[in-house]
Amino acid sequence: MSRFFATGSDSESEESSSADEITPKAPGTTFTKQSLLLSDDEEDTKRVVRSAKDKRFEELTNLIKTIRNAMKIRDMSKCLEEFEQLCRAFLKSKTIVDKEGVPPFYIRILADLEDYLNQLWEDKEGKKKMNKNNAKALSTLRQKIRKYNRDYETEIASYKENPMASADEEEEKDEVESGSSSDSDDEPADAKSFLKKKSATEAPPPNASKFLKGAADEESSSSDGDNEDWDSDTSESDSGSEDETGRSTSMAVNFLKKTSSEGDRHTSEKKKEERKKRHKRKERIEEEAEEEAQEEGEGEWEKVKGGVPLVKMFAKGTEINTTVVVKKLNEILQARGKKGTDRAAQIELLHALANISNENNLGEGILVKIKFNIIASLYDYNPNLAAFMKADMWKKCLDCIDELLDILFNNDKIFIGENIAEDSENLASDSQEYRVRGCILTLVERMDEEFTKIMQNTDPHSQEYVDNLKDEGRVCGIIDRLMAYLEMETKGSTEEVCRVYLRRIMHTYYKFDYKAHRRALGLQGETKSEQDAEESEGEDSAFIMDRLCKYIYAKDRTDRIRTCAILCHIYHHALHSRWYQARDLMLMSHLQDNIQHADPPVQILYNRTMVQLGICAFRQGMIKDAHNALLDIQSSGRAKELLGQGLLMRNMQERNAEQEKIEKRRQVPFHMHINLELLECVYLVSAMLLEIPYMAAHEFDARRRMISKQFHHQLRVGERQPLLGPPESMREHVVAASKAMKMGDWRTCHSFIINEKMNSKVWDLFPETQCVREMLVRKIQEESLRTYLFTYSSVYDSISMETLKEMFELELPTVHSIISKMIINEELMASLDQPTQTVVMHRTEPTSLQNMALQLAEKLGGLVENNERVFDLKQGVYGGYFNRDQKGGYQQKQGGYNRDQRGSYQQKQGGYNRDGQRGGYQQKQGGYNRDGGGYQRQGGYNRDGGGYQQRQGGYNRDGNRGGGGGYQGQNRGGYQGGGGYQGGGGYQGGGGYQGGGGYQGGGGGGYRGGYKGGYQNQDRRDY
Amino acid sequence: RDVAKRARMSSAASSATRAGSLNGRPGRSCIPIGPHVVLKMIKHYQEEGQGTEVVQGVLLGLVVEDRLEITNCFPFPQHTEDDADFDEVQYQMEMMRSLRHVNIDHLHVGWYQSTYYGSFVSRALLDSQFSYQHAIEESVVLIYDPIKTAQGSLSLKAYRLTPKLMEICKEKDFSAEGLKKAMIGFEHMFEEVPIVIKNSHLINVLMWELEEKSTVADKHELLNLSSSNHLEKSLQLLMDRVDDMSQDIVKYNTYSRNLSKQQQQKHQYTQRRQQENAQRQTRGEPPLPEEDISKMFKPPQPPPRMDTLLIAGQINNYCQNVKEFTSQNLGKLFLAEALQGHNS
Repeated sequence: MSRFFATGSDSESEESSSADEITPKAPGTTFTKQSLLLSDDEEDTKRVVRSAKDKRFEELTNLIKTIRNAMKIRDMSKCLEEFEQLCRAFLKSKTIVDKEGVPPFYIRILADLEDYLNQLWEDKEGKKKMNKNNAKALSTLRQKIRKYNRDYETEIASYKENPMASADEEEEKDEVESGSSSDSDDEPADAKSFLKKKSATEAPPPNASKFLKGAADEESSSSDGDNEDWDSDTSESDSGSEDETGRSTSMAVNFLKKTSSEGDRHTSEKKKEERKKRHKRKERIEEEAEEEAQEEGEGEWEKVKGGVPLVKMFAKGTEINTTVVVKKLNEILQARGKKGTDRAAQIELLHALANISNENNLGEGILVKIKFNIIASLYDYNPNLAAFMKADMWKKCLDCIDELLDILFNNDKIFIGENIAEDSENLASDSQEYRVRGCILTLVERMDEEFTKIMQNTDPHSQEYVDNLKDEGRVCGIIDRLMAYLEMETKGSTEEVCRVYLRRIMHTYYKFDYKAHRRALGLQGETKSEQDAEESEGEDSAFIMDRLCKYIYAKDRTDRIRTCAILCHIYHHALHSRWYQARDLMLMSHLQDNIQHADPPVQILYNRTMVQLGICAFRQGMIKDAHNALLDIQSSGRAKELLGQGLLMRNMQERNAEQEKIEKRRQVPFHMHINLELLECVYLVSAMLLEIPYMAAHEFDARRRMISKQFHHQLRVGERQPLLGPPESMREHVVAASKAMKMGDWRTCHSFIINEKMNSKVWDLFPETQCVREMLVRKIQEESLRTYLFTYSSVYDSISMETLKEMFELELPTVHSIISKMIINEELMASLDQPTQTVVMHRTEPTSLQNMALQLAEKLGGLVENNERVFDLKQGVYGGYFNRDQKGGYQQKQGGYNRDQRGSYQQKQGGYNRDGQRGGYQQKQGGYNRDGGGYQRQGGYNRDGGGYQQRQGGYNRDGNRGGGGGYQGQNRGGYQGGGGYQGGGGYQGGGGYQGGGGYQGGGGGGYRGGYKGGYQNQDRRDY
Repeated sequence: RDVAKRARMSSAASSATRAGSLNGRPGRSCIPIGPHVVLKMIKHYQEEGQGTEVVQGVLLGLVVEDRLEITNCFPFPQHTEDDADFDEVQYQMEMMRSLRHVNIDHLHVGWYQSTYYGSFVSRALLDSQFSYQHAIEESVVLIYDPIKTAQGSLSLKAYRLTPKLMEICKEKDFSAEGLKKAMIGFEHMFEEVPIVIKNSHLINVLMWELEEKSTVADKHELLNLSSSNHLEKSLQLLMDRVDDMSQDIVKYNTYSRNLSKQQQQKHQYTQRRQQENAQRQTRGEPPLPEEDISKMFKPPQPPPRMDTLLIAGQINNYCQNVKEFTSQNLGKLFLAEALQGHNS
């Protein structure tokens, strides 16, 4: 450790010495080391260039060496290869070459190579002997170098005139190679003089007394340590760089003065060192750069630690007043953002400055200004966007902001704003208001972002995360205070208030308000203890959300804040099971229409909200709504990504490192995550409750569609298992339950859905576990009853409702209502016999042969349709009124299909097409809209309105039969549309079309329309 | 006994067909078939064919005056894909030579094939029948329907390609225009040739004797009332064909749309060219050189219509089958109803 300090001061001294003697050599000047630091900046940049040059030149010389070797053994292909590399390398070092001129060794090799090639070319004999590859390489190389050398004609000519001088240089170059590679000093030095010089520098120091004085305890101890592990690589290279520094005599003084212990070391270890030096050369050069960076930081830090009094920032005796401090502040700030500025030191400096101004009672104005800058530099501490703040920095930052807020609260007179010009600031006078440039809101926002970043970068399963999370309270506190501050008159514009409100909302919306929850429950029961009662004081988060959001709705002018606020509001509602409010807000905001234009974080928020909404609907027993809300997120299979809760493994061509970084930054911190298993379970269970009865009802329907692809996929996976063990995972449970439900066995289904495992995995995660479970049981009973009736109605003549009641453990009215509903919806061909409380089956379900005939009729309809189109084409566009009408009908049907069946796929495809970054989050475009017939009633009505018209057409043309069909179609379509069964209206409309289209398909279509319409109408008339 | 009964029934049926054949076209008089040809075919299917698999064989016979007689047959052996070196022609030659040695008719007069629910109108059948008919003018294909036979009535039909179809096949012109010019529809593709099963008197005697001995239960097959299975299968097949037909139509539709679009483009192009030339003429410049328009606008490949025609024929066939079946069944149902009423 201490060795670093030693070397640190080393390089320090080197820097200062090479800084054109700006730094005074004599110790004890009034110049502090601080100023030294500031003046060093320029020097630094120069040094970087120099080392780059070294590196480049060495690369070139190495290449040249290999070329020469290849020339010697007449390996032309190797020569060519290396030459090409050389050209490339030379091109790379162009900037340096521009500055320094074309290096002589480069010209030399060009000239030599050309001569050599010409010579070979002349030598016909030798050429014949060459193998094919070599000969080929020779000719190419010759052409190449001729072309290349044209650019350097003058240099080569001058070289050829005076090859000796260049050769000298070359020698020198060799020396440089064998000696120290950093030959940046203009004066050429051969090895001997170099060594001599060094020995000179290492001669007994002239001012030994100073050396003794300057050598701190740690220094000497460090030298001890160094002596012990002398042969380590680093120490080698250290000493190497020391050699370098020791090369100029002017340096030596400084060098010895500061790190005399090094001198000691040199004398004792000189020989050893020299022996090793050769081996370590390359490593050293590489390490040099790194070390320098380290040294800088460490070196300065050492100084501070070394107890140089900070007050000395100002010359002694200077009167410290506002202007001086501001000047100093600006001076410090100038270093900001520059390369090589030590950010930590800068923060220290600013702190010191703050203390000074405090000590000198310069007033709050200047203090505020300094504080602003401290916080800003804290944020600057991390050079890139991805890195997050260290814990101590973070703490400092929080403290600082707290203090700043304290000051602001205590002084009404301070006026801050980001649009106050630098020169109109008023930091000094007490009489007027202070005017300080700066925006506290931005700082707090940045702080909030930093907090998110910290949370993102902490392992969510560690204690550290918990510790970090504890800071959330403070963050919220700060935001609250800021809110209070900005809410004060004249302190914040509405825009700013909106922004801070949004921050507040962002910290509130995802938290379940247990207090409010308990209070709601506590109204009936006793409050547990005094403390609890006390705790439950304070506003409900619902009120807060309401107040803040409404303010934003009213005042905000940027769309983004409002959108976020709405989404958070919905989320919050949904989280607290206020389903109707949440739903209404979602529908009123029309967010689904244009969310795909929003930026990814907002889309993520939208996805989160939709999911929460779906889960809320599920808890309320609105299974269809839950399913619709979750469909888009779940059907993609990328829920994790869409919710910003993790990246999916994808191959690299789809996402490069840059994109990955961006995506990582979007991730939602762990404590805000929505449980994915819960999400999937809710989705699958709702899909099961919808799909199983539907499947049972449409067993023979050719045009049956899946309600949920995902669910079917799970079922298929389940079927593919060769050996079916007891379910383990959540999915297996749902699949097993679905199978039981298919048979109408609700007890088994129930035991699969609600049991120990599922409780611990899923259901216990809900706040109102018991309610949810009760709801679920009930739903399972009802849907099982429906499934049972669908599946087995054909084997019954009549069923007593009493029996059903017992079978499914439902109350008689419920059974009655379910069956009635089924009959009304024409799902069950039966009638209720009131006196005996039985369901009498009509046995009018078409047999499989009839079903087949219906299908065939449908197909024939399509065939005729297609045929008509061929005919149309033959006839031209004016194919007659009749045909056009037909086409209209056809399109209508197509439309219906599109809307329902393919709609979702298309949507998905859209999502996939849209590439990478954004694509992922856009998926869910108005999904809710699309099939949410439930709320978007208009869609449903429209659709089946169209169906009705269609049917009307049929009626006109075809009299009674078509009319019957039409009537029925409309009826069904209407119901289905209202129900929002994934656009069932559209589907039924298609069916209706068949009825209407019957007349043209001849027997088939007419049969269908008449047949169905006939008996169903009759049925209805019966009861 | 089973076989005997069938033969008897067919003889009954043949008397009906003979009546029909009287007003058949000249030169297409009905074909007498030897009983053992029928039995051999039935046996062949029973032994080797099952389900949708079909069996095929060669018909032998001779032409007497203007009448074809089928007197013998032999099956094609079932052979798997992997023994590729099996030579069918070689086998046939061998077979026929051997038969000649035992002094049996050895003239090749056609072939037979079994069918599954009447689905035999296919490209393969068309092609092979064409090559037969091309080589031996009077050759026929006998279609044997084992399923119908199992229901109690022997179903055996002889088909030939109509001369019109022969011409088209010779020219290989299956485009829509070609078919239109030939005035050929699906109903004119195949012509059925009436057949007659001619038993020797001795056999007739034997059959009468067997008839006496057979029990009532054996005849019940004919009275089977169940219909849905057969109908369902037929409908299923019919539906598949309808689907194919739909696809073909869609294909044709796109083709004709493309064609008309192109026609329009061509028209536009020539007009523009004419205008330009007229302008040039007024300016006294030479007209633009004529370019080959057909090269610039390659007409789209017209879809072959023959398959569609075949599908239509097949659909027709299915429909006939279903019609026949349902009418028979209805009759049976009425019969049963009457019986029920009589009994009760």
